[in-house]
Amino acid sequence: MATTVLGLIPSGRFPSPAETWSALVHVSGRGYGGGDLALHVYNSLRLVVMGFLFAIATGVPLGLLMGWSRRAEAFINPIFLIIRPIPPLAWIPLAILWLGLGDAAKIMVIWFSAFVPSVINTFAGVRNIDRPVLEAAYMLGMPKIRFVTEVLIPGASPMIFTGLRLSLQASWTTLVAAELVGAFYGIGRVLNVAQQDLYPGMILVGMVTVAILGWGTTRVLGLAEARALRWNTAALAAKG
Amino acid sequence: MNRQISLLQSIVLGFLGLACFLGFWQGMSMSGLVSNIFLPSPLEVYERFTTLIERRFAGATLPGHLAASFMRFAYGFLLAALIGIPLGLLMGWYQLLDEIVSPLFDALRFVAPIAWVPFAALWFGTGIGGPIMIIFAGAFPPCVINAYRGAKFVDPRLIEAANMLGTPSRRVIMEVLLPSSIPSIISGLRVSAGLGWQSLVGAELIVASAGVGYMMVQGQANIQTHTVMAGMVAIGLVGLALDSALRGVERVIQKRRGLEQ
Amino acid sequence: MGVIQFKDVGKIFGPRDKGFVALKDIDLEIRDKEFMAIVGPSGCGKTTCLRMVAGFEDATDGTVSVDGTPIKRPGPDRAVVFQQFALFPWKSVYDNIDLGLRNLNVSSSERKKRIEAILNLMNLTQYAKHFPHQLSGGMQQRVAIARAYVLDPDVLLMDEPFGALDAQTRVVMQEELVRLARKNPRTVLFITHAVEEAVYLADRVAIMTRAPGQIKEVLDVASVRNAENWDSHEKIEDVMDLESFVHLRTHIWRSLREEKAAQHA
Repeated sequence: MATTVLGLIPSGRFPSPAETWSALVHVSGRGYGGGDLALHVYNSLRLVVMGFLFAIATGVPLGLLMGWSRRAEAFINPIFLIIRPIPPLAWIPLAILWLGLGDAAKIMVIWFSAFVPSVINTFAGVRNIDRPVLEAAYMLGMPKIRFVTEVLIPGASPMIFTGLRLSLQASWTTLVAAELVGAFYGIGRVLNVAQQDLYPGMILVGMVTVAILGWGTTRVLGLAEARALRWNTAALAAKG
Repeated sequence: MNRQISLLQSIVLGFLGLACFLGFWQGMSMSGLVSNIFLPSPLEVYERFTTLIERRFAGATLPGHLAASFMRFAYGFLLAALIGIPLGLLMGWYQLLDEIVSPLFDALRFVAPIAWVPFAALWFGTGIGGPIMIIFAGAFPPCVINAYRGAKFVDPRLIEAANMLGTPSRRVIMEVLLPSSIPSIISGLRVSAGLGWQSLVGAELIVASAGVGYMMVQGQANIQTHTVMAGMVAIGLVGLALDSALRGVERVIQKRRGLEQ
Repeated sequence: MGVIQFKDVGKIFGPRDKGFVALKDIDLEIRDKEFMAIVGPSGCGKTTCLRMVAGFEDATDGTVSVDGTPIKRPGPDRAVVFQQFALFPWKSVYDNIDLGLRNLNVSSSERKKRIEAILNLMNLTQYAKHFPHQLSGGMQQRVAIARAYVLDPDVLLMDEPFGALDAQTRVVMQEELVRLARKNPRTVLFITHAVEEAVYLADRVAIMTRAPGQIKEVLDVASVRNAENWDSHEKIEDVMDLESFVHLRTHIWRSLREEKAAQHA
C-alpha cells in the first residue's frame, strides 16, 4: 500500500487488503480476543448507549437549569470550571481504581466525558433564545412546566442537538480508550489483543468497526434531530 | 424571570458552590463511609501534589513528567499546525486540491485519535513516536478545517476590491487572503491544542514510559489514589493554561479586527 | 376596562447618580378603548414607556398602572406585538396563536372557534399549519397581531410593529389595523417614529422630547378625523391627501424638528 512506500512506517506492519479481509473473517467466525465480532460489537454498543443516555439525562437538565437561572449558573460554575479542564480519558485510572475493570467503570468514564458537552451546549442553547421570543412567552403568561417544555426546550433544541452529537462522539472515544486500557469484551479489547499479538490486519478491522459504529449511531441521532427540528430551516441551511 | 444578578451575588454564590463541593468531598472522605484509600480528602490530594513536585514517582517528579508530556504535545501540535494550516489554506483556495484531498480527509477524520493507539504501539513501541502520532491525529483535523474555512469563506467583496485595484496574485494571497483567514486559524489552533492535549493523555495511559498519563497508570496500579488525583489536577491545570493563553491571543486578534462581540 | 396611567414616571438605566436618564416626569393618561400613539426621535424613551406598561421594565420613579393597579409583571391582559414579531419558530401559526389561549384555560372547542375566527379576519386561514420561517415578514406580523388579539386583552401594546416591514407591506398592514381597531376597539398604545402612521391610526398622538424623554405635546386627532370623516375613504393615500391630515402631520414634524435642532445644538 502507498504508505509503506513512503517508508515512514516499517513495511510489513501496515496491513494489506488481503490481510485485513482474512482478519475480518477470523474475528467473525472463529472469534478473537474472547469472542466473535458480534459479541464485541454488542458489548461496546451497549456500554456506549448506556453511558450516553445517562450523560444526556443528567447533562441536558443541568444545562437548562444553568442557562435559565443566573443563580444556579453562579453557584455551579466554579465546580464546572474545575472539572472541565480534566480530559475525560484522565478519569480512566480513577474509574478503574474505584470500580474495577468491569462495565461500571467504563460507564462512569463515558458519563464524565459525554456529560460536559451536553451541559455546555444546552446552556448556550438557552442563552441563545431570542430575547423578544422569551418576552413574548412571559407576556402570554404560563405555568412553569409549560414554559420549560414548550418554550425553553424547543428554543434551545438546535444547540442541544449539537451537544448531543458531541456527547456521542465523546462517548465512543472514551469507550475505545477505556477498553484499550482494560476490558474483557469489546472492540477496544480486540484492538488491544491484536496490538499485543502484532496482528495489523485485526487492528484495522477493529478501527473500521469503531468508525462504522460511530457513524451509524450518529446517523440515528441525526434522524431524531431532523424530526425534532423540522421547523428550523436556518440550521439545516447552515449545515448544508 | 431570570433577571441578571449582580457581580457580588455571582461571586458569593460561586464561593458557596465551591465550598459545598469541597466540603462534601472532605466530609465523605473523613466520614469513613468510603475508605480513605479510595477517596482521599482534598487536603490529602493537595499534599500529595506538593510532595510530588519534589519526590520522584514512577521515574520522575511531577514537573519532570509534565515536561515529558508537554514536549510530546508540543512536537505533535507543531507538526499538526505546520502541515495542517498550509494544507487547509491551499484546499480552501484551490478547488482542485480540495476535491482530491477532501474525501480522504473526511474518511480519516472520524476515526477517534485514540483508535490509532494500537497502530502507534505496533509501529513505535513505547518510543516517543507513538504519542506524537496520536496527538497529531487529534490536533490535525481542527487545524485543517479551520484554515480551510478561513480561506474558503473570505468575503468575496474583498477579493473583488483587490482585483479592482489591480493587485497581482501573489500579493492577493499574502495581503488579503492570508490575513483574513487568521482569526479562523487561531480559533482552530485553540481547539486543536485542546484536542491534542486530551489525546496525549489517552495515549500516555497506554503506550508510554514517562509522562503524566504514565504516572497516573502507575499510581492506579499501586492503589495510590492521591497520586492519580494529583495527576488529574496537574493535567487540568496545564490544559487550562494552554487554553487561556490561546484564548488571549484570539482576543487580541479580535480586538484589532473589531470582531469582538 | 383598560385605562393606562403614567404618574410622575421616571426611568434611569444604571445607578441613580450616573446612569442614563431615559425618562423624566412622564404624566400621561390613556383612556379606555383609546388608540394612543407616541412619536419621538430615536432613543427618546418611547419604547421604554411601552415596556413599563408591559411589565418588562420597572419605573425608577413614579407609578405606571392599569385601571389603578400598579404593574408588576408581564401578562396576557397587556398583550404585546413586538417589532421583531417574536413568534415561536418551533410552533405552527395555529399553535402560536393557541398557546396564549391555553394559558387562559379556555376550553378546546372555544379555542378552536376563536382561532379560526381570527385567522379568517387576518387572512391567514390557509397558513394555519405553516411555520413562521415559511411566511413573509408581513404575514408573520399578522400572526403576531392575531396572537395578541385572540387573547381579547384590555390593553394592546404595539412596539413599532411595522418597523421591520417594507414600505408596501407597511401600508397594507396599516389599513388592516385601522379596520381591526375600528371594528374591535380596545386600549392601544402604539409606538412609532413614522409620523404619518401615527396620525392615520391614532385617536391621540403624544410627542416626546429627546432623552431625557418628556411628553412635549398631546394632539387630539380623533376629533379632526371624525369632523373631516377620514374613515369614509378606504385607501390610505386618499386620507393622506386630505388637507386636515397634512396639517396635523406637518404640525408634528415641525415639533419634532425643533427637537432635532436642539439635539444637534
